[in-house]
Amino acid sequence: MESLPLTEPVLLILLSLAGQSQHGYAILKDVERMSNGRVVLSTGTLYGALRRLLEDDWIERFEEEESSRGRQAYRLTSQGRRNLQMEIDRMKHLTRLASMRVALKEI
Amino acid sequence: MLEPRVYRKLLRLYPAEHRQMFGEEILAVLAEEIEGADRRIIAQARLLVRETAGLLVGAMREHFRILVDVQDGLSVAGGRFAMRNGFRFPKSTIVFMGLILGGVLTAIKKGEDIATSVPHDIGPIAPVHIQPVHSILLGGMPLFFAFFYAAGLIGWAILFAFRRSGVHRLAGISGEQK
Repeated sequence: MESLPLTEPVLLILLSLAGQSQHGYAILKDVERMSNGRVVLSTGTLYGALRRLLEDDWIERFEEEESSRGRQAYRLTSQGRRNLQMEIDRMKHLTRLASMRVALKEI
Repeated sequence: MLEPRVYRKLLRLYPAEHRQMFGEEILAVLAEEIEGADRRIIAQARLLVRETAGLLVGAMREHFRILVDVQDGLSVAGGRFAMRNGFRFPKSTIVFMGLILGGVLTAIKKGEDIATSVPHDIGPIAPVHIQPVHSILLGGMPLFFAFFYAAGLIGWAILFAFRRSGVHRLAGISGEQK
């Protein structure tokens, strides 16, 4: 079972697949865009992460129908979506707590 | 162009299973990367370095993952290697590190004992040749490290033998059947 918190690259990969299914290159570009160029994944890193996510059933792989090249695409599974939501909740709680603590210190 | 050939060669460093599953896909993504990349030399060089490093590290990580998978299959019934956030040592490495630390601490303690047991007021009347503590430690250290190095090698060989025997695959099958 995946342990939370997730690393930033893994979180960004999951977020990239949260909206729609994507193929490898699209995930790479989406991660770069979402992080404003701060996180640039190499292909080796991406496929290492995808493999682990596939093994843990967080994502699934399928052949893109509209692609003439029979390209493989990835999408979140219901378990992956649930775990992503848990991570987002955890982060929300953390930022709320951090804001409160910092605000208290300023008073 | 040089890069596709380099990448294809680097892919050979991956375990065969990973290569079969993702090999062509990785090459296709790399081809798209090259196609969509900035034409400037610096950007091209940066891409080459990033992708080469990524493939090298990725290959190492995949081999390491298989090795850890074997250990997990042997030590935890039905357990498997869950994706982890960041790098963590496998349990066996922690045990080895604990042993090494224990050995180093024992050696230091032994060195201190030797130092305190030697009388300091011998004076010029009885010129006894006292071997300094650090030389005793230095003499013993290579042997000490050679022992642990050998132990590590034997451990790795056992794991490798298990991997070759396919025990971890059997563990995976029994896990799936549950």
